[in-house]
Amino acid sequence: MTSLDIAPFANALVLGASIASIWLIAAIGLTIIYGTVGVINMAHGEFIMLGAYTSYALQSFLGLPFLLCLPASFAVVALVGLAIERGLIRYLYNRPLDTLLATWGVSLVLMQGVRLIFGSDPKYIAVPEIFQSNVEVGFASLSVFRLVVIGVTALVVAATAWLFYRTRFGMQVRAVMQNKEMAASFGINADRVYMTTFAIGAGLAGLAGSLFGVLAIVLPTMGTAYVVQAFLVVVVGGGTLLGSVAAAGLTGELQSVFAFLTNDTFARFLLYVLIVVFLRFRPRGLFAVAKARR
Amino acid sequence: MTTKQNLYHSKPAQWAVYGLFFAAIALIPVFVTDGFLLNQFAVYGIYGMLALSISLCWGFGGILNLGQGIAFGLAAYGMAMTMQMQSQDPDSNPIPPFMLNNSLEHLPWFWQPFWSTGGGILLALVVPTLFYVVFGTLMFRARVSGPFFAIMSLAMLSAFATLILDMQPYTNGANGISPPAPLSLFGTDLDPYGTTAYWIVCGGLVAVTVGAKLLTQSKFGLVVQALRGDPERVRFLGYNVALYETCIYAISGFIAALAGCLWVMLIQYVSPAQLDTTFSIGMVIWAGIGGRLSLLGAILGAFLIQGGQSYLGDQFLATWLLMLGAFFIVVVRFLPKGLAGLLEMILGSIARQPAKHARPEPAGLPAAGE
Amino acid sequence: MDLTRRNLLKRSSLAAAAIAAPHLWLPTAREAWGATLKKGEPIKVGLLFSLTGQLAVPEEDSTLVMQYAIDEINKNGGIAGHPIQPVIVDAKSDFNVYSEKAKELIIREKVIALFGCYTSASRKAILPVVMSQNSLLYYPTCYEGAECTQNTICTGPLANQHSKDLIPYMVKNFGKKVFFVGSNYVWPKESNKNAKIWLQEAGGELLGEEYIPLGSSEFGPVLGKIRDAKPNFIFSTVVGASDIAFHKQFKQEGFKVDSMPIASLTTGEIETKAMGPEFGAGHFLSAPYFQTLDNPTNQKFVENFLKSKYGKNGSTHYNMEETYLSAYVFKAGLEAAIKKTGNVEEVTSRMIRDVSGGVRVEDAVSPEGLIWIDGDNFNTWLKPKIGQCQADGSFKVVSQAAEHVAPDPYSIYPNAGKCTAAGLVAPDGKNRKNVI
Repeated sequence: MTSLDIAPFANALVLGASIASIWLIAAIGLTIIYGTVGVINMAHGEFIMLGAYTSYALQSFLGLPFLLCLPASFAVVALVGLAIERGLIRYLYNRPLDTLLATWGVSLVLMQGVRLIFGSDPKYIAVPEIFQSNVEVGFASLSVFRLVVIGVTALVVAATAWLFYRTRFGMQVRAVMQNKEMAASFGINADRVYMTTFAIGAGLAGLAGSLFGVLAIVLPTMGTAYVVQAFLVVVVGGGTLLGSVAAAGLTGELQSVFAFLTNDTFARFLLYVLIVVFLRFRPRGLFAVAKARR
Repeated sequence: MTTKQNLYHSKPAQWAVYGLFFAAIALIPVFVTDGFLLNQFAVYGIYGMLALSISLCWGFGGILNLGQGIAFGLAAYGMAMTMQMQSQDPDSNPIPPFMLNNSLEHLPWFWQPFWSTGGGILLALVVPTLFYVVFGTLMFRARVSGPFFAIMSLAMLSAFATLILDMQPYTNGANGISPPAPLSLFGTDLDPYGTTAYWIVCGGLVAVTVGAKLLTQSKFGLVVQALRGDPERVRFLGYNVALYETCIYAISGFIAALAGCLWVMLIQYVSPAQLDTTFSIGMVIWAGIGGRLSLLGAILGAFLIQGGQSYLGDQFLATWLLMLGAFFIVVVRFLPKGLAGLLEMILGSIARQPAKHARPEPAGLPAAGE
Repeated sequence: MDLTRRNLLKRSSLAAAAIAAPHLWLPTAREAWGATLKKGEPIKVGLLFSLTGQLAVPEEDSTLVMQYAIDEINKNGGIAGHPIQPVIVDAKSDFNVYSEKAKELIIREKVIALFGCYTSASRKAILPVVMSQNSLLYYPTCYEGAECTQNTICTGPLANQHSKDLIPYMVKNFGKKVFFVGSNYVWPKESNKNAKIWLQEAGGELLGEEYIPLGSSEFGPVLGKIRDAKPNFIFSTVVGASDIAFHKQFKQEGFKVDSMPIASLTTGEIETKAMGPEFGAGHFLSAPYFQTLDNPTNQKFVENFLKSKYGKNGSTHYNMEETYLSAYVFKAGLEAAIKKTGNVEEVTSRMIRDVSGGVRVEDAVSPEGLIWIDGDNFNTWLKPKIGQCQADGSFKVVSQAAEHVAPDPYSIYPNAGKCTAAGLVAPDGKNRKNVI
């Protein structure tokens, strides 16, 4: 009898990993933008939505295969992010609360713009037949597409880690993060670092969007469903890459287990309350950047 | 300050403008006899109170609160419960119809106090304020501030909305509570389309505006404004920063709670949509566009945006949100103090004409905010 | 500061004087109560749907089909020679705006009737004003019931009608074991309460009941529970974007439609189009109407509607058809009221409601076939039908009720009483008006 009880629970844990990967890939762009540039990007959900629409448009108008839509969405949304950074965000770098509000304005514009272009009826992204099945390993069962999301997330985390910790650009980014003026005096163009980081962060949201379009639905409002979770991952993680990985893992598993034990709605409420309590004791998140304080 | 003062900063001038504004809203029922319009103006007045509450904690206290819907929504629920219980009868009809449908046999304990109209309204005001005190204490003592606090208030708002949805037997879930009859006060029904309802809202708005204005001019208000500039410095000066932050946050919550009560009095309806994130961020947009550093500016911002939505929204059906978003971006980018800041600038440049460079205060620099 | 305080005092005494002055106590809008019609002038009705925002997906279609129906009625001579004039507003998917616009339509525009709302929450938001102004709301979609107001007429199926045939049909064809999944709000829960009764009668067995937050697109945990429970079919009341995510993840997680189909109350022609027909194919839907219904009235309706300027979205789903019917129920009601008074100018919203009990929309007009309005609770007698989604996203009717099913808003709450034209009559004989 106990083994029977353990199997569904273990399944919930496996599913938790999948939920975690979804939240992580939704949050990763937000993390590097917040961690590096210090901007809370309220338009992040709309970047996700743009990615989904890019994939939809490329697929239905140009017939691009799904796997090629992923990098294409990254590129297109990164360009949009670049334009927004150049046109708006760079003027607001020393006003963090104002960037938050300005990006909310951006999100309204993007959402309504997309609605004007594509209409408000839902769209869908088609995927190869092989993604529409599931695999069973022993007691655990997971869809192939969820495995794809986990895989892509792992790749993106690895690539981001490599970019930020193993390349010259990454070193510049970290230098700017620690001390902008000092970095500048060593000839690092902080402005350019911010610009590039913002574009990459936006692009990653776009990539996530084309995955979410397959999991669920492509709608102008789809971004809002992911953005609160993404914010929580960043806040709990403290704005570092490692922090976000840990925070997404933790919150995703908790959501899955709570949902298994109670129901989806109550699980969400419980998780939010836990996060508030957690922040009371670790206001700077799990792995905050060590900063001189007090 | 030897040069001519900017009229914008002159206290008598400010009070004069406030007086003019109060006189204007008091005169509305004389010219407006259309019940719909009167009700709509009253609703705008409530939005004005909400914008004012945001201005108080964000503009003056530097605490960006994206979850003001918590106080507004909880109070609205309290008021709706009060009004619902007015149409129930302890003997023949003891529980609201929706509870029967959710298989409740008895009135839940936390509905009991709402039998009493006075007690219900009191609870509607006190419970949200108390929550703000507790949540504020938790957050501010942990020194959660700035964007982090904004996100946490947003998350808390989502949590409440989720909870109300899930507690359907007690709250009627997504359908919300619509009391079947208007609020009855001292034995008379308060027609939501009549002048009395308008006067009550009008009185509430005047009272909170004057109260808030006096508060910002008090010593407490000055400390709070210092917090906005540099909380660390205030801490070094020996002030208990968390206490001041919690206070201003709770006061703004109380104003939002009052707005929530009055809103249900006018609309006779509440649902989890009142705790929707878009609505709460909308309040910040009103204050932002009107001018978060000016209480009156914030109120007028709410009038402007909501009026625009009601009257322009239908003409430019699809582009309204686009225009609102773009307008907001332009204001944040170029007018961080909102339209009130624009007025300040214009009056300032008039004042400065005789003696230039007296008080250089160009907008667009990090003068406001952080 | 002193000066300020004095000013303040002066102002407040002024305000007090203003309040005391009797001439300022102006009459309220009450005299405008009860919109009336004028001989020879168009009949104003309000269309209160969302044209922008999330709810625009179903509600924009409702506005279009209402305009189509009004054009059609006007082309055929209007109502007693009066053309209908729609006042169209946008509720922006925002319940605050629903309330504001309802007031505008009723108090300011003085429309004789409102057609509007899709979600129950929006209906509840406008009911206070509809009731206090004694106006009339045509609510053209399915809902949970358990409501007895004297100012509404509903043309969609109630919870007690909706799944009555579906559950026995599924039990008979797929097996006894069922799992309920719904969005977390009132309508799914009420629908499930009714479904449980049908399930018991059919000898079925309920394995589990789960609710998903509105708008959520994460079905992993629920599908995990379903996998463990191994039902024969799933009964779904998941709505909107979530519904689409549910069907997609159902297939992606390796569930097979042949061995465990989803029997839904909501997944119609728009949803299957939005998710991609391959995700909808094989599943079942219970509704009073499908675009593919094989009768001459429907064929004419589909053909004419799709080629009219309102048919741009390319389909006529159940919600649109119920909206279309509401226009004809209104026409029949108004005609009856005019006949009764003999004078157009004496007709009020209240009167139209009073004479609408028993009003019929005949086979020749109603695409779903004859329907009529119940004389007690003013919901609709109709025949629920069961359709199976085909590979192209259209539905094939596999079963149709033999008899009309009576609407009963309190079918599962007999203790609450019986809804009558005058109010909810409790078992103890007390009558309560406007129970919401």
